[in-house]
Amino acid sequence: MAAPLLSFHKEILEKIHDPSTSDLLILARGLGLRRIICTLLKIYDSPQSLVLLVNATPEEEAAIGEELGIMGCRKPGLRVVGYELGKRERQDLYKKGGLISVTSRILVVDMLQSDIPIELITGIIVLHGERVTALALEAFIVRLYRERNTSGFLKAFSDQPEYITSGLSPLKNIMKELQLRTVHIYPRFHEEIKANLENRRADVIELYQHLTEPMEAIHHAIVQCMTTTLSELKRSNTSLDLDDLTVESAYFRSFDVVVRRQLDPVWHKVGPKTKQLVSDLATLRRLLTYLLTYDALAFHAYLETLVSSNTTTTTGAARQNQSPWMLTDAANIIFQTAKRRCYTLSKKSADRPSAVTDLVDDEDAWDALDAVEGRVKQPTASSQKPWVPDGMDPVLEELPKWDLLADVLQEIEEEILRQESLSAYSRGSNIVLVMTSSPRSSALVSEFLSEMEADAPKGRRGRKMMETKLRRYLYWKGKLANQKRDGKNQALPQLDRRGPQASSSNALDNSTGLSEALKKKDKERQARNANRRRVRGGAPSSSVTTSQLDADFDTQYGLLPPQQTVVVRAYSDDTDDQILAEMQPKFIVMFEPSLEFVRRIEVYRNSNPGLGVRVYFMVYQLSCEEHKYLAGLRREKESFERLIKERGSMLLPIFEDKRLGSKTGEHIIKTISSRLAGGRKELSAQTSQVIVDMREFRSTLPSLLHASGLLVIPATLTVGDYILTPDICVERKSIPDLISSFNSGRLYTQCELMSVHYKQPILLIEFEENKSFSLETVSESTKPYAKPAGKYPPKKSSGPSESERGPPSIQSKLVLLTLHFPRVRIIWSSSPYATTDIFNDLKANNFEPDPTRAIAIGAEEDPEAGAGVNAAAEELLRCLPGITAKNVKYVTGKVGSVRQLCELSREEVQGILGVEPGNLCWDFMHRGERKQ
Amino acid sequence: PVVQPGTGNNIIINPNQRLNPVLECIRNVGKEFGDITPDFQVGRTTCILFLSLKYHRLHPEYIHTRIEKLGRSYNLRILLILCDVTEHQELIRELTKVCLINNITVIVAWSTDEAGQYIATFKQFEHKPPDLIKERLDKDYDTLLRTALTSINKVNKTDVETLRTSLGSFADIAKTSSDRLQSLPGFGQVKVRRIKDAFEKPFRNKA
Repeated sequence: MAAPLLSFHKEILEKIHDPSTSDLLILARGLGLRRIICTLLKIYDSPQSLVLLVNATPEEEAAIGEELGIMGCRKPGLRVVGYELGKRERQDLYKKGGLISVTSRILVVDMLQSDIPIELITGIIVLHGERVTALALEAFIVRLYRERNTSGFLKAFSDQPEYITSGLSPLKNIMKELQLRTVHIYPRFHEEIKANLENRRADVIELYQHLTEPMEAIHHAIVQCMTTTLSELKRSNTSLDLDDLTVESAYFRSFDVVVRRQLDPVWHKVGPKTKQLVSDLATLRRLLTYLLTYDALAFHAYLETLVSSNTTTTTGAARQNQSPWMLTDAANIIFQTAKRRCYTLSKKSADRPSAVTDLVDDEDAWDALDAVEGRVKQPTASSQKPWVPDGMDPVLEELPKWDLLADVLQEIEEEILRQESLSAYSRGSNIVLVMTSSPRSSALVSEFLSEMEADAPKGRRGRKMMETKLRRYLYWKGKLANQKRDGKNQALPQLDRRGPQASSSNALDNSTGLSEALKKKDKERQARNANRRRVRGGAPSSSVTTSQLDADFDTQYGLLPPQQTVVVRAYSDDTDDQILAEMQPKFIVMFEPSLEFVRRIEVYRNSNPGLGVRVYFMVYQLSCEEHKYLAGLRREKESFERLIKERGSMLLPIFEDKRLGSKTGEHIIKTISSRLAGGRKELSAQTSQVIVDMREFRSTLPSLLHASGLLVIPATLTVGDYILTPDICVERKSIPDLISSFNSGRLYTQCELMSVHYKQPILLIEFEENKSFSLETVSESTKPYAKPAGKYPPKKSSGPSESERGPPSIQSKLVLLTLHFPRVRIIWSSSPYATTDIFNDLKANNFEPDPTRAIAIGAEEDPEAGAGVNAAAEELLRCLPGITAKNVKYVTGKVGSVRQLCELSREEVQGILGVEPGNLCWDFMHRGERKQ
Repeated sequence: PVVQPGTGNNIIINPNQRLNPVLECIRNVGKEFGDITPDFQVGRTTCILFLSLKYHRLHPEYIHTRIEKLGRSYNLRILLILCDVTEHQELIRELTKVCLINNITVIVAWSTDEAGQYIATFKQFEHKPPDLIKERLDKDYDTLLRTALTSINKVNKTDVETLRTSLGSFADIAKTSSDRLQSLPGFGQVKVRRIKDAFEKPFRNKA
């Protein structure tokens, strides 16, 4: 059932629905943007029109399609175009009209190749309007669209005003790129919305939970680490204006962006230390959220992974510059306390400190031990589990919110009973909805609820679950230590390890360590404790249901009455509205605070008059969670205010009519040569054109080339990225690309191919706009090695050269490349803008390239030239040993996906790659395999 | 006639470069002055012209005369540009075009040290085989696994460690379900989707 529209929804729709105008709508999050979009789409839906939905994520596409279906817009409803769809099918689809959601990259290519009738597009709806910048693909789409079609509409939507605040006049820039002239801004404090929502308020109970003592200690220590890291950052970059960076602002993800923007122009000068500091801040911020959402063991495990990946370099040697925060006292507190939340080691093992790890390593001995002790049958498993190593006392602290949740559920249950006894009819179902911040934490909460022992004392209700987790942790820990040891010396890994897996769902049943007797006992107890409530896995990924099903199989048959169900879900954007409308819950528990969800409840409450909603709102007091919530509120409000102010004083851009007519005029002037009989019109019919590889549409250059007046022709090229003239072929490399393709040897092969097929092969090294135009960024790694050279008298040592001592720098590789390919020219471009200038320069007075010839070059052995490509998969494939630039095409023709490759036998892989490379590849993929 | 027979291990320097501060920065190779057309001769068939953008701005015609004098000699001709001005875009664009017409390869350096290093490296690598930049297979398992997995957008080295320790081999990772991946510490929806896209989506569509 679709939720009814509130009056402010109607007002907004009234303003924007007109298909002859184009608008930008900025709405506060949580007020039902999707509902508006869907209603709008429904209005436009007809086979006579062609409406495109652009910039939607796959989840949004699915959800919008579903909601449209519910609203009765079914045949054919919203169709989705992805790269899986062939060219011919796409053309047909466009011709038939209706609502179509297209990936931006595909749409650009289709528009350029005229696969889509641009003149016939009724309108385009752009989601996430805040992301449209001059360099975004969507801006390119709008440009292409407006060139040929001025009558169609363009509606852009955004619910993230925070994004539109950086820069001088951000709102104007977005509107310029979208070629719009009207913007509607609807914050929560808008008159209409305020009047609308404050009619009926939900009954909210705010619960402020204190952190436990160890958690508080860790929290404090992390914040301290952040402060030191931040002050370190400020100290090492005194020249920069970093004063407005505070620990509070560091709680937000956007903080990283701000720091990077400050540092980018000097990024090559800052040195590895500063880079380390910046990434440390992100790590610390992540730790803060994990502290509040992960269980004690998972948190501790994450810390350990962090430490072990931090102390070694890529080559396995001890690392030079460790993260400074890891060496502080505060970090010590973090690590120690995190460990103490899980377990303590008593004296017995203190005498032989390495005992624990040794024991854990030996999995077989473990199993034996388990089997023996399991059969000995200790009276109750409560005091000491047999598999806990000697001297280890499990502490297994639980998150305080769990208890709180248990209490709340208890209260709700009583409330339901009370209402039932009153027997007054009331709307809504008795399903209890528990909302968490992430699928992960919702899985954890439902796991807790399903294994909870209600009569246990506070703080020990999830004991059983935690013990299972501890067991898994011990196994994992052994593996971590093991891998570390043989990581370097290449010993073949443990192929036949068995034991409890770290899998969340089937760990219990798979564990060979758990003896039959114990299992039986567990089952009995579970049956005994099976209380009234059952947990239904509501989250898309909660895998708990399966284990639950196994555990008490017979009690699970049949549907449960709603009052026995607790649904645990993660916040998931506008889909939550749909959930609320569908379930009509009367009791909602917000396990973690969320600004949007509060509003969703307001909307839900107001669109269902007569429904009593009670909300429990849980926050950890004095934690980053609380702070984040409040600061988030403030930030949103401020950015809305700024937007409104900007709208008031905005100079609206007037768009020049850029239709074909005006353009050819300009073109004529350009191409008339006065040498030809005093300017007699002797035109080459073609406009200046560039052939661009499909894969390049991920970058910004094609869009800019088009903006500079070149005709961009997309094609799947085997050799080169851009073909400028019949002789000039360009391979574009951004700096990270350059480094990685030097390392993988790909650049060598590419240059080889270009040299064979083109007279003028060119390597384009493209730096980024506003970033430092210099290579030193990458050569830094050689510096520590260069220093000791000063100790020796400089002239005396004629031995190893500077570059041979350290790892070879990017410069020396470049030198080697030019020495071996004297014909390859290099273009150094400081930004994509500079590149377009250079390209235009190179094209002047040259012949136009021929697309069919360019596609054919080097593609002889490729049966499927011109097909769509999954770039991510191909990239991954190229990194495997045994796969070279030469055979990668062949492999993709033979095997469907990387996963399929992994499932082949050794012989089959050898059949594809040849004996030796096949061996290499197979060994790589199956090293460290776990026997099932 | 211009190309002197390679006299061995020394870089031959045109006397007009005598006051060039870059000379100080050419280390680890022998240097000698000699009568040559380019500024530096760093191999039998390799020569370098040196140009500071600051100088170029003052004397824009200088480099053209030098290129003209060079004619068609030498197989690999390098124009080493020292980028010591902030408004480089226009200058580099124009030089790029000139060089393309005259078969000259452009190298840009941002400091005299870097420029010196380039010149020295050209000499040192004169006879070096290209193994350094060719595809190699002799990497150890950890590095390979790391480069492979981090090629997927959003996956960092901590994640690689997590994947390896909790899932096992590459093939194990390939067949792990999204739910399982999402339960790993540090893995969110987006990251899991990226991983799944890379492993399970087909390489090509059928069109």
